[in-house]
Amino acid sequence: MKIGVFICHCGENISRTVDCPRVARVCESYPGVEYAIDYKYMCSDPGQNMIRDAIREKGLDAIVVGSCSPHMHERTFRNAAVSAGINPFLVEIANLREHCSWVHDDVEAATQKAIELVRMAIEKVKRDKPLSKINVPVTKRVLVIGGGIAGIQAALDTANAGYEVVLVEKEPSIGGHMSQLSETFPTLDCSQCILTPRMVEVYQHPKIKLLTYSEVVKIEGFIGNFKATIKKKARHINEELCSGCGLCITKCPTKKKAYNSFEEDLAFRPAVYIPFPQAVPNIPVIDESVCMYYKNGKCGMCVKVCDRGAIDFDQKDTMLVADIGAIIVATGFKLYNIDKKAADSKYKGYGEYGYGKYRDVIDGLQFERIASASGPTAGEIKRPSDGKVPKKIVFIQCVGSRDDSKGISYCSKICCMYTAKHAMLYKHKVHDGEAYIFYMDIRAGGKMYEEFVRRAIEEDDVKYIRGRVSRIYEENGKYIVKGEDTIAGMPVEIDADLVVLATAMIPQENSAALARTIGIPYDKYGFFNEAHPKLRPVESTTAGVFLAGACQSPRDIPESVAMASAAACKATILLSSDTLEREPVVAKVNEDLCAGCFYCKKVCPFGAIEVKDVKDMNGIVYKEVAYINQGVCQGCGTCTATCLSKSIELAGFNNEEIFAEIAAL
Amino acid sequence: MEELREYAKELLEKKEVAAVIGYTQVSENRTKPIIITDPADASKLVFNEYCLNNLSVYLTKARINAMCRTKDKIMKLAICAKPCDVHSIVALIQENQVHRNDIVIISFNCHGAVKDFGYEFSGENLASKCITCETHKPLYFDKIFGEEKETPKASDAALARIEELESMTHEERFEYFNNEFDKCIKCYACRAVCPLCYCQRCITDKAIPRWIESSSHQRGNFSWNIVRAFHLSARCTGCGECDRACPMDIPLSLINRRMAMEAKKSFSYVSGRSLETPTLVGSFNEKDSDELFM
Repeated sequence: MKIGVFICHCGENISRTVDCPRVARVCESYPGVEYAIDYKYMCSDPGQNMIRDAIREKGLDAIVVGSCSPHMHERTFRNAAVSAGINPFLVEIANLREHCSWVHDDVEAATQKAIELVRMAIEKVKRDKPLSKINVPVTKRVLVIGGGIAGIQAALDTANAGYEVVLVEKEPSIGGHMSQLSETFPTLDCSQCILTPRMVEVYQHPKIKLLTYSEVVKIEGFIGNFKATIKKKARHINEELCSGCGLCITKCPTKKKAYNSFEEDLAFRPAVYIPFPQAVPNIPVIDESVCMYYKNGKCGMCVKVCDRGAIDFDQKDTMLVADIGAIIVATGFKLYNIDKKAADSKYKGYGEYGYGKYRDVIDGLQFERIASASGPTAGEIKRPSDGKVPKKIVFIQCVGSRDDSKGISYCSKICCMYTAKHAMLYKHKVHDGEAYIFYMDIRAGGKMYEEFVRRAIEEDDVKYIRGRVSRIYEENGKYIVKGEDTIAGMPVEIDADLVVLATAMIPQENSAALARTIGIPYDKYGFFNEAHPKLRPVESTTAGVFLAGACQSPRDIPESVAMASAAACKATILLSSDTLEREPVVAKVNEDLCAGCFYCKKVCPFGAIEVKDVKDMNGIVYKEVAYINQGVCQGCGTCTATCLSKSIELAGFNNEEIFAEIAAL
Repeated sequence: MEELREYAKELLEKKEVAAVIGYTQVSENRTKPIIITDPADASKLVFNEYCLNNLSVYLTKARINAMCRTKDKIMKLAICAKPCDVHSIVALIQENQVHRNDIVIISFNCHGAVKDFGYEFSGENLASKCITCETHKPLYFDKIFGEEKETPKASDAALARIEELESMTHEERFEYFNNEFDKCIKCYACRAVCPLCYCQRCITDKAIPRWIESSSHQRGNFSWNIVRAFHLSARCTGCGECDRACPMDIPLSLINRRMAMEAKKSFSYVSGRSLETPTLVGSFNEKDSDELFM
């Protein structure tokens, strides 16, 4: 076997601490190495040509490149090798940058280490086997999970590209948090006015199948070939028959039985309801927990008034199964719930602010509803406790966010902007009102964002106080906000009529459970992880699953929409070909040796392992062995490590190759 | 005893099972395993305090499984199992080596067994595992024989030994096990008697690559014994057969028991006790302790 060794200086990144010419010289003398050379930029065009020429001229069978991480340029060098006629899997990368030059100072020791790293790669490449790509078919349908603005955008873009979309929303209507907002920064255009046309477009799109009041319960399969099981919860209204006249809602005797969650619990709703007047679809839902029929079997007023006969008390949850090629996850966020209900044990809450105790200490979404023309106060700023117009509002930023001691260290990103917007909206409606904002920093990065905040300060006279609030308590109908002004260096006390807390954005409830259902990684907060923070921001590490919007980290509307379009684009790229090429780095079971304990099946994060029957000559099953579906396997190697008898080999990283690498050290 | 023999005879006569795996007396205070296929041989079966072997090891043996395979179906296998041996069977079922419906578990009310052949049954000579045993009645069975009797009392010497080892420094402990493993002659008797060492080809027998050096010098000995301990952690049901089989008297079950204590402490898991509980290896729980991450 003739091996070529190519040592890259990476400009000075490697050569600063590694004597690259010496590494090449030493490696040239190793058995099997035909040719070795170093060069300033191996990944550049001339560098790649050096590799190609050497392969052709010296008749090389395999190459080792000592360069940066394989994450960076493995593909580059593999492609170069392929164009000169070598199988891409006979290319090994020795990581001389991240694993060596960047982490050491001593030139002599680093050079020695580099030589060892290259030698290990040489020993591995000697045992590498040529592998060929795996082809799998593609189902041309996209599943979008979540019907907020991100999901809506992703669904529309994908459908407009000509692919079928299944859009699943757990609430009775699509629209998400954006439909609750009053006006949006930095333009102050009405949220509903820009959103509702898109909701209707989704509903009417011939390529989009909209499943509201539904949840994804199971995802099986793999990129291009997922199978999604979706639970369609019983609405108790026949969607085919309902005309959306709303008579059932107006006649329902349980007028104010339940909190209206769309109004952030600032209003009530009857047992049969649509979340908001512009809901899509405009089909009500009967809430079993409130409906009198489910309580005592009586009433049935809705049945009497519905002339279409659409009420169906016996309706059951139904399960739908859909073949899916790609998945876009856009499940959004919720607000850090500070004491109202039992807080997640991870978070400590803000008992000192009296949220949940004082009715006039509210969160950002509640203020959105109060400021919204369609909200419980029809857009008039009135406080929840007595309906009076507040003359003094204190807004507090970073409640939950950027506070390690309360459990969240990240910045929720949108609060600076929406708080400025809230203060502005308030000042526009209550001219003699005073608005105070307690802030830590003002983070207004974004087009027209800084200008927007300046406008609040300069034109609308919003008073910004840099500092934290330590306590809020009630006194004679006022809320005494005690804090400090760190710029003036003195304590502040404001007697507010209303306090608005800009609470942290956290992932939706059960986001971790959903991540496990789909098989995508998530961070410690429950936000879904992208494959690469810079270069693959809308892809999950699971092939064929993409991310959009605030389910990945706090995002504002423009970002969510951009991510959604990007994710839709990624999904349509995937669906644009009839078959998919997969890397052949997959695990394979030695069926003769497999003992059939199926620990591999239990640990496989991708559900790639199945039970295969081995039959005797009479056709009787006498043994069960593990079988790995090559289309599903992602080559993570967990099964290989778990297998007690080492009867699973990962192609490209088999035991013999890894052993040779270690033994060379 | 007669009931056991009658039952076994009936199973074989009615062709409900292909064979009965049980014990037979060879001399006073000594039994050996027997595999019976002829109903007439059922009279050879015994059960007493000298039935030491954990017969579940035979369930995964290819030759025994071959006996069950007829032209058109797989016949059941009956096995005599002490309550502790049933733990091994549970573990085998969980690891897909045996299907519950393919076996008939004949078990006994047990009040302990002798530590090895050649001893008289008494508290002093009680097998180590019987001292702390909590399952005198089998957790799973198809048929049960024997009367409930009191187990003789004895002190837990093995636990005392573990505690003693725990109090040592790392170096002392390493030294201790190095000396113990140094005795190993790589006969693999421990592997042969272990019901959970059922791999078709053990990792030690693999040559490409050679995971464990086969010669019985210190390095190979150490890696074999440590790999064995790791492969059995949270799987070993504590039958103690490895201890009994080791011709060099290496205290193998000390390591196994220590690992089992860890599984119990960190994950409240005891191997082989329930068919419903997922095996610790291969199951993931968000609430699992992170302490054991290295």
